[in-house]
Amino acid sequence: MPISVEQLESIIKERVPAETVIAEDESSGCGAKFSVIVVSSHFVGKPLLDRHRLVNDSLKEELKSIHALTLKTWTPEQYEKKKNETQ
Amino acid sequence: MNPTLARQLPLLRGNVHAVRAQTRVAVRPNFASVRRSFSVDNDDSHDDFKTIRKKYEAKDKGSGNVKDLIAETIASKPVVVFMKGTPSAPQCGFSATVVRILQMQGLKDFKGVNVLEDDTIRNGIKEYTNWPTIPQVFVNKEFIGGCDIMRSMHESGELKTLLQESGVISATAEAK
Repeated sequence: MPISVEQLESIIKERVPAETVIAEDESSGCGAKFSVIVVSSHFVGKPLLDRHRLVNDSLKEELKSIHALTLKTWTPEQYEKKKNETQ
Repeated sequence: MNPTLARQLPLLRGNVHAVRAQTRVAVRPNFASVRRSFSVDNDDSHDDFKTIRKKYEAKDKGSGNVKDLIAETIASKPVVVFMKGTPSAPQCGFSATVVRILQMQGLKDFKGVNVLEDDTIRNGIKEYTNWPTIPQVFVNKEFIGGCDIMRSMHESGELKTLLQESGVISATAEAK
């Protein structure tokens, strides 16, 4: 069973943990390629590499069947800023 | 073996896609090398076309292990990229992005290690860094990140600072 966007979102939310997770399937439903925005207050003060590691580690098992994962890891503050930029 | 040839080897011996990509851009395709590429994994291929794999295997079986080999590789150049394909013919969009970013930073010389060449390296590098995906970029032996991190650092200017501080690009080199 390929992993769904909803599953991916709830796994990351629970395990990182993260406040907001927005996942997008870029492989038209075959579950191989995802683009994910992860917003977590746990990212505050952590360099990018550590933030990505947090997310990657939370998906250790799932990543075996996911071919490509594009991550954006933001703190809540950064997320608000990005939202304002795009409005 | 001359260095230019050594650099091109992965293209010539690796696989059909790489060779196709190469011939598309070449002014005059080298049909001799295209023909040869079909005898990829045969042991009867020309010595030149199996050197790299043999070298890795030999090291793997000998005193050194994959970990040592990777450590040795990342120390061989200030910037080393473990990628799919080669810098001149990347075989994955993420790897291509990383190469383009480095080129945009004005970096002229970096080492690309084609993980599709060797499964022990492909899996070994993931264990080495505890990072699940390819490409992986090292600057002065330090793991910097994959495609997303490179892209983000490129956009924020951190990458430029890092490369300048590492002495990899000169402070006056302008990112195009």
